[in-house]
Amino acid sequence: MTEIPFKNPGWAGNVGEYDLTEEQVRGIDFVGVRPLEGGHPAGSSTYPYMMEDKDPEAPLFEGPYEERLEKILTRYPTKRAALLPVLNLAQEVRGHVSPQTMDRVGEILELSSAYVRGVATFYTMYNKRPVGRHLVQVCTNISCNLCGAEDVLKAFLAHTNTEMGATSLDGAFTVMEAECLAGCGFPTCVQINSRYYENLTVEEVPRLVAHLRAQDAGAARSTGPEDEG
Amino acid sequence: MGYPYSHEKEVPILSKYFGDPEARTLDGWEAREGYQALKKALDMDPEEVVEAVKASGLRGRGGAGFPTGLKWSFMPKAKDKPHYLLCNADESEPGTFKDRELMRWVPHQLIEGCLIGAHAMGAEHVYIYCRGEFFEATQVLAKAVEDAYEAGVIGDDVMGSGRKIDVTVFAGAGAYICGEETGLMNSLEGRRGEPRVKPPFPAAVGAFGMPTTINNVETLAAIPHIVANGGEWYRQWGSEKSPGTKLFCVSGHVRRPGNYELPLGFPLKDLIYDVCGGMIEDRALKAVIPGGSSVPILSAEEAEGCALCYEGVIEAGSMLGCASVIVMDETTDIVHQVMRMASFYAHESCGQCTPCREGTAWVTTILKRIEDGRGTEEDLDTLVEVTEQMTGTTICVLSDSVAAPVQSSIAKFRDEYLALIRRGERVGAA
Amino acid sequence: MADETTGIGGAAVDVVTLTIDGQEVTVPQGTTLLEAAKGAGTEVPHYCYHPGLSSPAMCRLCLVEVEGAPKLLPSCTTTVADGQVVRTNSDDATRMRRGVLEFYLLNHPLDCPICDQSGECDLQDFVFAEGREHGRGRDAKRVLGRDDFGGDVLFYGDRCVMCTRCVRFMNEVEENPLLTVVERGNRSVIDTFFEEGLEQAEWAGNVVDICPVGALVSKDFLYKARAWDLDHTPSICPNCSQGCNIELHTRDNLVHRMKPRTNPEVNGHWICDYGRGRYEWLNRGDRLEAPVVHVEGRKTAMGWTAALEALKERIDGLGIDTPGGKTVKAVVSPFWSNEDLGAVSRLVGALGGGDVVFRASRADEEVALTGYEGLARRKGLAPNERGAELLGCARVGDDVGQGGLDDLANHDGIVLVLGDALDDQPEGFAPNAALVLYLGAYTSSALASADFQFPVTTFAEQEGTFTNHAGRVQRFWPALSGPGTARPAWLVLGALLGALRGEEGPRSAEQAFGLVASAVESYSGLNYETIGAQGGPSAAPLPVAGD
Repeated sequence: MTEIPFKNPGWAGNVGEYDLTEEQVRGIDFVGVRPLEGGHPAGSSTYPYMMEDKDPEAPLFEGPYEERLEKILTRYPTKRAALLPVLNLAQEVRGHVSPQTMDRVGEILELSSAYVRGVATFYTMYNKRPVGRHLVQVCTNISCNLCGAEDVLKAFLAHTNTEMGATSLDGAFTVMEAECLAGCGFPTCVQINSRYYENLTVEEVPRLVAHLRAQDAGAARSTGPEDEG
Repeated sequence: MGYPYSHEKEVPILSKYFGDPEARTLDGWEAREGYQALKKALDMDPEEVVEAVKASGLRGRGGAGFPTGLKWSFMPKAKDKPHYLLCNADESEPGTFKDRELMRWVPHQLIEGCLIGAHAMGAEHVYIYCRGEFFEATQVLAKAVEDAYEAGVIGDDVMGSGRKIDVTVFAGAGAYICGEETGLMNSLEGRRGEPRVKPPFPAAVGAFGMPTTINNVETLAAIPHIVANGGEWYRQWGSEKSPGTKLFCVSGHVRRPGNYELPLGFPLKDLIYDVCGGMIEDRALKAVIPGGSSVPILSAEEAEGCALCYEGVIEAGSMLGCASVIVMDETTDIVHQVMRMASFYAHESCGQCTPCREGTAWVTTILKRIEDGRGTEEDLDTLVEVTEQMTGTTICVLSDSVAAPVQSSIAKFRDEYLALIRRGERVGAA
Repeated sequence: MADETTGIGGAAVDVVTLTIDGQEVTVPQGTTLLEAAKGAGTEVPHYCYHPGLSSPAMCRLCLVEVEGAPKLLPSCTTTVADGQVVRTNSDDATRMRRGVLEFYLLNHPLDCPICDQSGECDLQDFVFAEGREHGRGRDAKRVLGRDDFGGDVLFYGDRCVMCTRCVRFMNEVEENPLLTVVERGNRSVIDTFFEEGLEQAEWAGNVVDICPVGALVSKDFLYKARAWDLDHTPSICPNCSQGCNIELHTRDNLVHRMKPRTNPEVNGHWICDYGRGRYEWLNRGDRLEAPVVHVEGRKTAMGWTAALEALKERIDGLGIDTPGGKTVKAVVSPFWSNEDLGAVSRLVGALGGGDVVFRASRADEEVALTGYEGLARRKGLAPNERGAELLGCARVGDDVGQGGLDDLANHDGIVLVLGDALDDQPEGFAPNAALVLYLGAYTSSALASADFQFPVTTFAEQEGTFTNHAGRVQRFWPALSGPGTARPAWLVLGALLGALRGEEGPRSAEQAFGLVASAVESYSGLNYETIGAQGGPSAAPLPVAGD
């Protein structure tokens, strides 16, 4: 699962004067695949994966995820503090945070469902509706905007045949406008699921979209996380 | 060294190992003299560490520029309740991309800084609040923390000193306002990331109601170097009021955008034309935002003599912020860019304070109307007045941040607004 | 430096002296500028601040100028300091308020003509006082529409000023966080958890009271009356023995709603939904309107003088002054005042003595307001059970206020009934009695054949006192006029007793209470003046009767 089968055509990361591979820049060779059960509790609150296969009915907090939940709870003086990591975890499994998910998370953390809803809707990364296999978020904030981000966004919408914020009919893509992704030196910065694509230009968009489609069509579809590299 | 480009005028201290994948590993970091400063700090009295940081004159790198040593000294000495150190890694100010590099290339440098800070302030737990979108950087950091735990660098007996310090990597979930220190605390506590009213200040009542200090990633990353070499050493760069080096994030219309570590006080002009290789296609410079989208825009003339230190940028009419230099050339449609910034703030306003909640959205609406050619000249007066009503009237400064680009652009680029309003002419449309 | 003076109750309190709008004020340390200004007679406009809730300082309307401070400060969270010079009406503060008020109106529908809050709306008031004549908003307004929050609460999102008082009430006071702010920025809106509403809440009606605008309104009150047409009368909630201080809001001699009246000793700013919703019985139409005397199968309505004379004659004929004469048995309702019950007990004593009992419904559980100590919907579901007990009345019957009257039904002496319409009893109650006297507000089938039916007023139609579960005596005032010739029971019984003894009865409720106070030891020293309206800020704590 760790090896990267071929050079990601859409990555286009600008390594400038450095001689680095994509894995080295991303740190994939260093991190490897983070275990589903969360590894060391110190890192269990991070948000390791946004999966392509999104099952809104998937059971929550079972198996390794239960273990991760337990680890998360050990790191904070209050149960409430685990809310964001636990919502992250739930979204990792289900792809979005549904009312049922909020209810269940509230139950586990002894918070009212309304409270969980209030917190979940405050943060933009919780998808309140199901999203496509590839959630494409194009930064159009100032630095990227100066360098043509709006055209990149339009190109994504055109090549995935979707409208802003909507999911394509085949369920493959949801394209959204994002606020600054803090990759301002690498415009245009695009986040697809949990991965950044930098220095994306209008010309590269069709290749990247085609690559993601081809990957979806590939027979050996892994059930594991992060398989788009 | 800067990433993805370096320059001979740089003073690479924090960025020395950018682009060096081996520096990520614990062994690699130790081979690069890593954790020596922590060892030294653990042998010092906490107060001595605070004094060293004070002596360096290091100022917070998150935007406000508050002296770090002084901030640390506010923490109560009494150990009757837990103390917390929070690392603000929720980098989201448009134009800023330094913390991600610090986290993904040299995570142990940050961890070392966190541990020294925790030792200096008697904190038993460090929470590194990472921006939720930073999947990769957060994983690199989490892995480094795991390795450090395993090696006994973090944990119940930090490097054999008997000190217990825990570190937890926390991932946010998408909210610019969580970069505000009290908003971050609320978010860490599992609440809506709404900034809190001060007083009480975090050093008295912070995260989980306990004494808390919060520092930016770059601030903490500088700490090991200051502790290893002494405060005076750090002062060899920069000015009296702005000592040391700083990562400058340059984006926009320059040939070689990226991070560059330079002494504070570096001329803005040289940064653009020398370090960054000049303007793309040698086009003329129109405007510069020197400190991220929350600070006033500088015209090309104002940028000309601007020195990039806290006091120098104020002199030029703006603020250094987090030294995020956004360069705009003559083709830039200022009205559109200001509208885009305003819509960002409207999107990110937490919605607590009325002037911000309503004002950010209103300003955006008016700017959009002007862009669409439906604006009037009175709209410009309204924009100025409305943004004045949004300045200094709210709990945090997000609302002031909209005022800065709007007011400065109307003052400095009024002609562009008028061209749109009167004749429907748009700059850069060609 | 802070002075030390003697405060309420003799405890030493540190006080500070500051100047607010040129007026020197001295207040306890820790007081907020907003409260200090209020004490000096200046109301600083505010939405998010509420004295019963935490202060998030987010509406930004209460910003004031404090000399030496670089920015305007929120007066709701800034505490007083000695020598401070505060200006609530400086140019900066006024300009800022104008600006904030303009922001509030940007998306406000200005639907005052169809808004229930109109006339008691803080947005209306503040904008009228200080707002701009014309707003500058030219763009389309946000439209959120109406949402049923469940229970009695209806939400009009467009009118909301996002002060979050309602959310904080549910979080901090009811401690049942069913409301939340959803989304953020100007997309934020108050909401429940999707379809789940406030049905499980027991105190949610308070969010309607504390909403400063017409965003949260009562379904029960919807479109019933305009605020300026309502008369407000201080009263006591009659629906349990907590004795929450309330106001009865009336128009056209009908109660239209009950609102809490602040009393930190009893109910703070709050009342429960159970109590709030039960006022319709005060508007009942099936009232006794004139004294009716039953003589040999014929009922005759007559004036009070004639009726009382007939009754006196009848009683005299029973020869109860002689030893071994007929004794009295009485049942009273704990919905009647101490003055009324005291008159019953005096009359019973004068007629040779006898048992006085009362019946009242009891709930299985108390419904505590967990965030406000000492406040609960009590098990006892009548306002004056404790008062009745202190006057020597014994509780009989079951938990729904029925039964327990066998003794009374079979009595062969005088049977006196006050207030209790004996709805559970068969017609022709107390067939063996020598005399049945019913003083009631409502027609009663059990007592239709009573020898004397005298119309009396309810607590809402007269002045008087109730004694709450803790023995606290509290006054109420007449909000309605009674029907026909109905009179307070204490007046009727006092007149009767006077006639029997040849002396004058009490002529006012105050005098009637004086008689009660002299008869009940634990009321000694109490009079209407010492009880007061429940006390302003300077009033000493009320004496609590009994334990």
